[in-house]
Amino acid sequence: MKNKINVYLIEYAINAVLRQKYKSFFIVSVFMLLTFLLTSVFFITNSIKHELESTVDALPQIIVQKIKAGRHYDIDVSSVDGILEIAGVSDAVARVWGYYYFENAGVNFSLVGIEQYEKQYKNSFESIVEKFDLTHNEDDSFMVAGEGVYQTMQQNYYKEYFNFIKPDGTLKKVNLAGVFDSDTNLESNDMIVLSKETLREIFDIPESKATDIVVRVENPQEIQTVASKIKLMYPDTRIVTNQDLKVSYQNIFDYKSGIFLALFIVSLFTFFIIIYDKSSGLSNEEKREIGILKAVGWTVDDVLKEKFYESFIISFFAYTLGVGLALAYVYLFQAPLLRDVFVGYSQLKTRFELPFVFDFQTLFLVFLLSVPIYIAATIIPSWKVATLEADEVIR
Amino acid sequence: MIELKNISKIYDVNKNEKLIALDAINLTIQEGELVVLKGASGSGKSTILSLIAALSKPTNGEVIVDSKKISKLPDYFASIYRRDNIGFIFQKYNLIPTLSVKDNVLLPLIPLNPHADLVDEKLQKVMQRFNIAHKKDVLVRNLSGGEQQRVAIARSYVNDPKIIIADEPTANLDEKLSLHFIEMLRELKLLNKTIIIATHDPLFFNLDFVDREIEIHNGKILR
Repeated sequence: MKNKINVYLIEYAINAVLRQKYKSFFIVSVFMLLTFLLTSVFFITNSIKHELESTVDALPQIIVQKIKAGRHYDIDVSSVDGILEIAGVSDAVARVWGYYYFENAGVNFSLVGIEQYEKQYKNSFESIVEKFDLTHNEDDSFMVAGEGVYQTMQQNYYKEYFNFIKPDGTLKKVNLAGVFDSDTNLESNDMIVLSKETLREIFDIPESKATDIVVRVENPQEIQTVASKIKLMYPDTRIVTNQDLKVSYQNIFDYKSGIFLALFIVSLFTFFIIIYDKSSGLSNEEKREIGILKAVGWTVDDVLKEKFYESFIISFFAYTLGVGLALAYVYLFQAPLLRDVFVGYSQLKTRFELPFVFDFQTLFLVFLLSVPIYIAATIIPSWKVATLEADEVIR
Repeated sequence: MIELKNISKIYDVNKNEKLIALDAINLTIQEGELVVLKGASGSGKSTILSLIAALSKPTNGEVIVDSKKISKLPDYFASIYRRDNIGFIFQKYNLIPTLSVKDNVLLPLIPLNPHADLVDEKLQKVMQRFNIAHKKDVLVRNLSGGEQQRVAIARSYVNDPKIIIADEPTANLDEKLSLHFIEMLRELKLLNKTIIIATHDPLFFNLDFVDREIEIHNGKILR
């Protein structure tokens, strides 16, 4: 009685792969390396894209900055009242924030001031004020830090507090109240949240001034209209919408993608050289083997099935290995070397984790670009030989 | 019964040159008969074997085996015909050197996808019959000429074919091994197989169990 799946044929194919071990090893290695490279780049770009999209989504709809002679200055807090009068504006908050360069570690921290009892302009800040007490007084000030900041501080022996250097050269000691985890890693990792009063003291910003004003609009379709009205009301300001930020982030990302494209083309080129080599013909040994198989009663179908199994075993094994290595390289080891090609500003920002983004389409695309092409390149020359007269092939 | 009717086989050597391997020959071989085709190299003996095994097609004429026109068979059915009817022992054995003895003998059974127990039984039986069972896991390339020939015979016999064809089977053997092969042929003859041997080795001439000797010269049957 016949089995449905011919295990002998599969066994023969496995055997064929193993007995050409040097050749198989070479093909698997090259195939795996290319799959690994392509998939790694796809994984990294997907993660960064996801990270950027999350960051952009979490950004304020409109930011109003004071400009003097093209330079950014602190804005009057009183401007908030004027903005709130514009139809369509649901909220306007004066923000106090700024970058603080920590020389010892060579990184920038983003310092953000919030009011404990005020309505927060970001959801993540609501949970911070619920969990932590950021009360400010002359002796005791508290802050909540992102994971990256916390790590940097720990490495520099600031276990429970941090000494900020104020503009006049004196120190401001701020106690660490806790570590927070925000919506996105990229944004929150280098962030320190403290009370507005503490921040005003560190940056020497008076009560009447703020770094900028963030505006929330009821209907997102009206963002551009409201932005134009604010500009008319305060001509000495620069209005930045979340769409503008999205475009600038995207531009940086697209530039980085150019490098990826170059890498992609080189990989494909190498792959197609292998394919060309495979499809251009079989060795005399391979031809003779097909001739023998035909002579002992194998049909063309049997030969092609065996060749299919053989090439599928090699290509699928190499593909799986390449994808597995790429997963480990990108998400376990955080893609050393390649990651910095895409995250160019990593020297200034604290490190962030590449978030795990499982994109089935990416894996399917790499699969389609490699496995079926390799199988076809193996089967076509075998078919050409198998359809010749067995006698002619053996002779 | 095997019938070759008015068979010609012409090879294209190049654009302007043709080689007439067989020239309108007629031959009938009865079931269970052992026939020796004699003749010098290039006389056309191997071509006759190749046509009977459906490894190639004649330029003209018909090859009929058990009333079936096998010279007209499409490639797929020609393979099935070989699998079910023919055991071929090639001059250079045509074994796969990187496979073990057992795997080489197994080759004709693979497309049939038989049950594992049946395969084991067949392999064991045939390897024992041709005294190669003790080398079953050895790679063929590591065997001597005589051992390789026994593997080739075992492979030709594993499907229990009706017709066994041998092309210059002793060309690469010394006299002792050649005589041993002749003894194995005697055994096969007793199993009532139709056996056709192409050879120019005098050891095969005038053997008591050979039914007919046919001489081929320049693509024609002399006697």
